[in-house]
Amino acid sequence: MKDYLVRVTENKKVAEDLYELTFAPKVGKFEQMKCGQFLQLQIPGLLLRRPFCLYKFDSDSITVAYAVVGKGTEKMVKLKKGDEFKVTLPLGNGWTLQDKHKKVVLLGGGVGCAPLAYVPITYPDREYFSFLGFADKSKVAFESEMSKKCKLTVVTTDNGSYGEKGFPTQALEKRLREIQPDVILVCGPRPMLKAAARLALAYGISAYASTEERMGCGVGACLVCACAVKQADGSVAMKRACADGPIFKLEDLVL
Amino acid sequence: MNTAVKIAGVQFKNPIITASGTFGFGQEYDKFYDISALGGICTKGVTREPRKGNAAPRIAETPSGMLNSVGLQNPGVDVFVKEDMPFLEKKDIVTIVNIAGSCEDDYIYVAEKASETKAQMIEMNISCPNVKAGGMAFGIYPDSVKNITAKVKKVCKKPLIVKLSPNVADIATNALAAQDGGADAVSLINTVTGMAINRFTRKPILANVTGGLSGPCVKPIALRMVNEVYRRVQIPIIGLGGIMSAADVIEFMIAGATAVQVGSANIFDPMAAFNIVNELTKEMECCKISNVNDIIGSLILS
Ligand SMILES: Cc1cc2nc3c(=O)[nH]c(=O)nc-3n(C[C@H](O)[C@H](O)[C@H](O)COP(=O)(O)OP(=O)(O)OC[C@H]3O[C@@H](n4cnc5c(N)ncnc54)[C@H](O)[C@@H]3O)c2cc1C
Ligand SMILES: Cc1cc2nc3c(=O)[nH]c(=O)nc-3n(C[C@H](O)[C@H](O)[C@H](O)COP(=O)(O)O)c2cc1C
Ligand code: FES
Repeated sequence: MKDYLVRVTENKKVAEDLYELTFAPKVGKFEQMKCGQFLQLQIPGLLLRRPFCLYKFDSDSITVAYAVVGKGTEKMVKLKKGDEFKVTLPLGNGWTLQDKHKKVVLLGGGVGCAPLAYVPITYPDREYFSFLGFADKSKVAFESEMSKKCKLTVVTTDNGSYGEKGFPTQALEKRLREIQPDVILVCGPRPMLKAAARLALAYGISAYASTEERMGCGVGACLVCACAVKQADGSVAMKRACADGPIFKLEDLVL
Repeated sequence: MNTAVKIAGVQFKNPIITASGTFGFGQEYDKFYDISALGGICTKGVTREPRKGNAAPRIAETPSGMLNSVGLQNPGVDVFVKEDMPFLEKKDIVTIVNIAGSCEDDYIYVAEKASETKAQMIEMNISCPNVKAGGMAFGIYPDSVKNITAKVKKVCKKPLIVKLSPNVADIATNALAAQDGGADAVSLINTVTGMAINRFTRKPILANVTGGLSGPCVKPIALRMVNEVYRRVQIPIIGLGGIMSAADVIEFMIAGATAVQVGSANIFDPMAAFNIVNELTKEMECCKISNVNDIIGSLILS
């Protein structure tokens, strides 16, 4: 965990309101990172840093995929090659697959697909099935990236303008008996996590989710990112999404 | 060049302390730098029983600052003493345990427990705007400030700092009340109660509706209050509110602070407190200061 000064190498649009920002350390190299971990990016002119998942990464370069949704991400669009900013990383726990997880479903909603993209690279010896949901054809992304590594890649749009019409959880449910996954990894908006939790419960599949809480420090000190997580004894504890998460067992999340 | 200051007999190697609630119990930031570089650390508020804090969202960005409504989420004083205190004891840093409660007995219980540790000082938070029953209720009226200070002082075996709220009629009167109650020092300011609204949903952004404002936007208020208090009380003042740089530290000391606390700046940048410590001597040089103690309350008013 370290604060790095980095330099933009590329900032490009990949779909409607979706960009990929790539940057390199100004000096030295990035430390070891893990898929599903995130970083806190300082946007020039704003005080609070913005959390983004690691999308593509190695010790020389990191790419984050970001959706333009507000003040900070609008400013990020203006970042140009050579611009410098600070970034704290790697943060959070990241995805962990157990040996028994041979067939893995990657379930992503919108930009929530980004933290799933690196799982097959970290754990190459598994079978992957990805279900990616977007609002509209103009927003579709990550498809070619995912289909390179997955046995099956299904894209859905809410309005049917591309791929299958509906939500990715619906596309998954249709194929669940056929795939018989050992684990589902999910990242997306809350309603999608809820739908995934229902599926996981109904079909008895273990599932992990990456949560999205508003953050302050990102390192575990300020407790603004607390989310309610069920404990083994049945009680509910407030866990730090940044330090204890952002990935939790889906069934433990109070959604 | 001298950066050391003394408060109630406790020596700080520099006047920079991290503020309660923004620095956990120190372990997280110690991964970024050795926190022994700091003058002191003030812990997250600890209470008698473990507390869950408020519902999320607990944070909102504001122009030049932030609102938080964490509430007093903490593991309770017993767990703190057992699990978090040992780490701090190993560090060469003044440890200040920040205590909070909902009733007098709570404060007394936690003050007694904290007194048994190796912490050097206790800071009593009677100014948390984020908890309904407590904290703040003791901090509004001068009579209750004096009363709770006297009761806690009786059982407190360490120098007692009373942390004051800016959300009051006259903060200097409350500082005087703390002094009359036996406080060894006062710290100010805690956060300023505020609100953020989402105009599209017409709902408050914070689940708690209101929260505490902190960061650079509160600095002018904090400076004014530190100076008002400095002119009324004899006990030392720890100044805080929006400190982002060594230049800010010097301004607070000129206003009357003997030491300062750095809060939200840690949230904005994990290296903030460490950088401020490192910049301090350079900034002193720029301002032609050889001993920080020389500038305490040196504001020129004519
Ligand atoms: C662990 C984690 C990983 C994330 N990874 C990605 C990613 O890879 N790509 C991506 O596009 N987005 C990601 N997000 C969401 C992203 O952080 C927000 O979209 C972004 O902060 C919005 O900033 P803004 O200034 O444009 O929006 P504003 O609405 O102007 O932001 C105001 C404040 O709210 C916070 N905020 C707003 N929306 C969110 C949100 N959905 N989650 C958390 N905080 C929010 C901001 O950080 C800021 O503090 C992630 C969030 C978390 C918690
Ligand atoms: C996230 C957060 C949590 C806080 N928790 C506490 C607390 O538990 N006890 C306390 O006395 N003050 C608490 N505070 C107040 C700070 O210690 C400080 O008084 C205030 O933020 C002003 O300083 P700043 O502008 O440098 O942040 C908290 C502040 C923040 C931002
Ligand atoms: S954001 Fe500060 S503890 Fe998680």
